[in-house]
Amino acid sequence: MAAEALLEVRSLSKRFGNRAGREPSPWVIQELSFVVNEGEFLTIVGPSGSGKTTLLNILAQIDTASGGEICLQSHAAPIGNSKSLKPGLACKIGYVTQEDNLLPWRTTLQNVLFPLTVQRRLNEDTRARAQMLIRAVGLAGFENHYPHELSGGMRKRASLIRTLVYDPPIILMDEPFGALDAQTRAQLQEDLLRLWNLGRKTIVFVTHDIVEAIALGDRTLVLSRSPARVAGEHRNSIPRPRDIRGIMIHPEFAPLYQRIRVQVQ
Amino acid sequence: MATWPRTEDPILARLARLAASLRTRGDQVLVLVVLLALWQGLSLVFGTYWVGSPWGVLMRLGKGVMSGEILRHASYTLLEAAAGFLIGALPAAALPFALRRLPIVTAILDPFMVGGYGAPKLALAPLFILWFGIGIESKIALVAITVFFIVYFSALAGVRALDPRLVQMAQVMGADERDVARHIVFPGAVPHIFTGFRIAMPYSIGGAVIAELISANRGLGYLVQLSAMNFDTTGVFVALVATTCIVFLGNWSVNVIERRLLRWRPRPDLDMQAGS
Repeated sequence: MAAEALLEVRSLSKRFGNRAGREPSPWVIQELSFVVNEGEFLTIVGPSGSGKTTLLNILAQIDTASGGEICLQSHAAPIGNSKSLKPGLACKIGYVTQEDNLLPWRTTLQNVLFPLTVQRRLNEDTRARAQMLIRAVGLAGFENHYPHELSGGMRKRASLIRTLVYDPPIILMDEPFGALDAQTRAQLQEDLLRLWNLGRKTIVFVTHDIVEAIALGDRTLVLSRSPARVAGEHRNSIPRPRDIRGIMIHPEFAPLYQRIRVQVQ
Repeated sequence: MATWPRTEDPILARLARLAASLRTRGDQVLVLVVLLALWQGLSLVFGTYWVGSPWGVLMRLGKGVMSGEILRHASYTLLEAAAGFLIGALPAAALPFALRRLPIVTAILDPFMVGGYGAPKLALAPLFILWFGIGIESKIALVAITVFFIVYFSALAGVRALDPRLVQMAQVMGADERDVARHIVFPGAVPHIFTGFRIAMPYSIGGAVIAELISANRGLGYLVQLSAMNFDTTGVFVALVATTCIVFLGNWSVNVIERRLLRWRPRPDLDMQAGS
């Protein structure tokens, strides 16, 4: 299969604005380059504080870069100054953040329909899709609950399908399952893979958990401690569908884990 | 507060809640009885000339309500308070939204708003009576200016309490400036605005009564003043009780509207967490 580059990141650099009279702040990201192919599930691992969230914020166009280029579908994205940023690049980039960021005054269903509402795309078909996703992640029966009435895992599911519902060509995920207990986490990983199998979206999934990166991804990038650079790239040929809970006993798991582990510092 | 065992059965849960609220009601009645007894005691000690007895006040109140006199005065005061409240509170609630994208204008206005908030508005009553006469206009003006600053600062706090992550999330999903204002800034500020309403509501009735005390020919404040001039303490108490009733009515209305609009908030008295 001739993979087509959907997202290209070239020599991306980022340092936060320095205050007057101070030394310039250190680079958070320096000369970072990688490519995400169409339909690929790319996982990025890096130590805490390695600028993973900053990277995704830049990709999602809610933060500026200090240098470099980002091309989505061969179009350069405006990344230089905060005025010209276009968050989400006209709904082409979905972003599932660490916090669920559900709107507390909207019910589960209203939260899931929120992107469709603001994109003026609310109709029979999109509503049916929302209902399908709600059922697919086991939130049926909780459509009219407010976020504070849901458990942490349920809120996470709602926030996940809120991005899936409007079907952006590429979805960024920032440690979405970080704050969950192991059981819920495994379940959500399974849900995510199942949903991904339905549509084969392009996903960039950031985590600090090597096991999660291997369990989910087709390919794993390792980021160095800051400034973030690509320290290594690992193809993952464990066949799909994968057994998330039993991924560790797959013969290819251990060597891959070992190769990634030595690079994550 | 007593904690009730959590039950899965909705009927039992409802009964438990009912029992809890009944118990609170019972305690409230008890406090009321104690207060009435104190009042009765005072009127026995000082005589009904100085402190009208609760029973006497109740009889007069009943008579006044039957003859329509109390209702006439009360509805006049209520009208002043309600009109002043609307004229003062609605622009005050809307202004911080209009100023949201103009931080410099907000900063310029700030000291004046703080001054207006701190100034004793009731002292303006004589001035408003000079300007607007002894009719309803001066009372409405006083109520409006009293309410305005309280609600302005509450609404401002609500707009400032905005979570920028929610805004970013909405923008990534394609929300424009209007969507953000309508779906995120406004609903997020509503609880703060209601806090302002709740605080401002008694002030609106108090403001109307005070303005009437100074100069009026109708209203509960006028009734207080008239009774006092006739050495009729029972009449003063009747007017005060009627005023308190209006405050209760206002508070109840705010509660009802708030509960309808803020269904999404966790109720502190109920355990609605679905176990996380």
